[in-house]
Amino acid sequence: MSTLVTVLTAETALADASTSRWLKNALREALERDPADALNDALALAGILEDRLRSLLELDEP
Amino acid sequence: MVDPDDRRSAASSAREANRRRRTEKLLIGRLKDHGIANYQFRTKQDPSYYVKLLTRNGERTLWGKDLQRALLQGETRPQVGELIGVRRTAREAVTITSRQRDAEGRVIAQEERHAHRARWVVEKVSFFAKRAQMARRLRDEQADVRESVRAHPELKSTFLTVRAAEDYAAKTIANPEDRERFLQLIRGAIASSIHKGEPLPSTSLRNRTADSPAVKSRGPKREDPTR
Repeated sequence: MSTLVTVLTAETALADASTSRWLKNALREALERDPADALNDALALAGILEDRLRSLLELDEP
Repeated sequence: MVDPDDRRSAASSAREANRRRRTEKLLIGRLKDHGIANYQFRTKQDPSYYVKLLTRNGERTLWGKDLQRALLQGETRPQVGELIGVRRTAREAVTITSRQRDAEGRVIAQEERHAHRARWVVEKVSFFAKRAQMARRLRDEQADVRESVRAHPELKSTFLTVRAAEDYAAKTIANPEDRERFLQLIRGAIASSIHKGEPLPSTSLRNRTADSPAVKSRGPKREDPTR
C-alpha cells in the first residue's frame, strides 16, 4: 500500500490552515534570510527540539 | 591476574552491547510515505516494505518486510504526516530465497541463504512516552503495585509475572543478596522490553480446579472411553 505524498512548499505551508502560527512566523522570517543559513539553523533547531523531546518523554533507556 | 580469554570475551560483550544500543536506538521523524516496493526501488530485487521518514538528519528510508506488520498492525497505527518512532527490536534467523529473473520476469536462477530478519516497532511518539512511564513504574521497587495497575491496567500481567518471579526466588534462592540480584535482573529485563515497545507479557491466572494434581492423576472411571 503506497500512500499519496503531498509535497510541502513554503507557499502551501503558509496557505494551509492547519499549519501552526509558530511555523508560519518562523517560515516568513526564514524566507527573508540567506537560504543556506536558514536551513542550517533549522537543522540545528530540529536537533535541539528532538533532544528535548527525548529527554522530557524519557524515550531513551536509562 | 586476568585471563586474556576473559578480557577478550568481556571486550566482545561490550562491543555487542554497543552495537545493540546503536541499532535499537529509537529513530524519530515525520512519516512521509510507506508501502510495498522492490528492495531499494531496484526492479531486479525482491518485494519488500519501505518506510520513509523525515528526521533531524534529513530523509531516511528503512527497508524490511516486518515494517508492514509493525506499521499497520501496531497499537497506534500512525498516518502520513505524524511524528513517529521506529525501533528495531530483534533479529530473527530466516532462510531467504533469491531469484534472478529474465527480461520477461521468468525465474532463471534461484539461491537460498540464511539471514536475519529484523523485527520492528513503528508507533506514534506518544506510545513510546507511555511505555517509558510504564517501564519506570516497574523498575521502581517502592511503587505501589495497585496504584501502578490502576494507572496502567495493561501492566497487570507484567506485575503477575514479577510476583511469580518473587515467589520462585523466595522458594529457591536462600541468600537474600542473590535473591535481590535475581529479581533486579528480572525487573530490568522486563522493563527494558516494555521501554523498547515490545509486546507486554500476557499472563493469566491458572484455573486451579482444572489443573489441580487431583484432577490430573485421577484414574479412569468406568464410563471413560478407553481410547
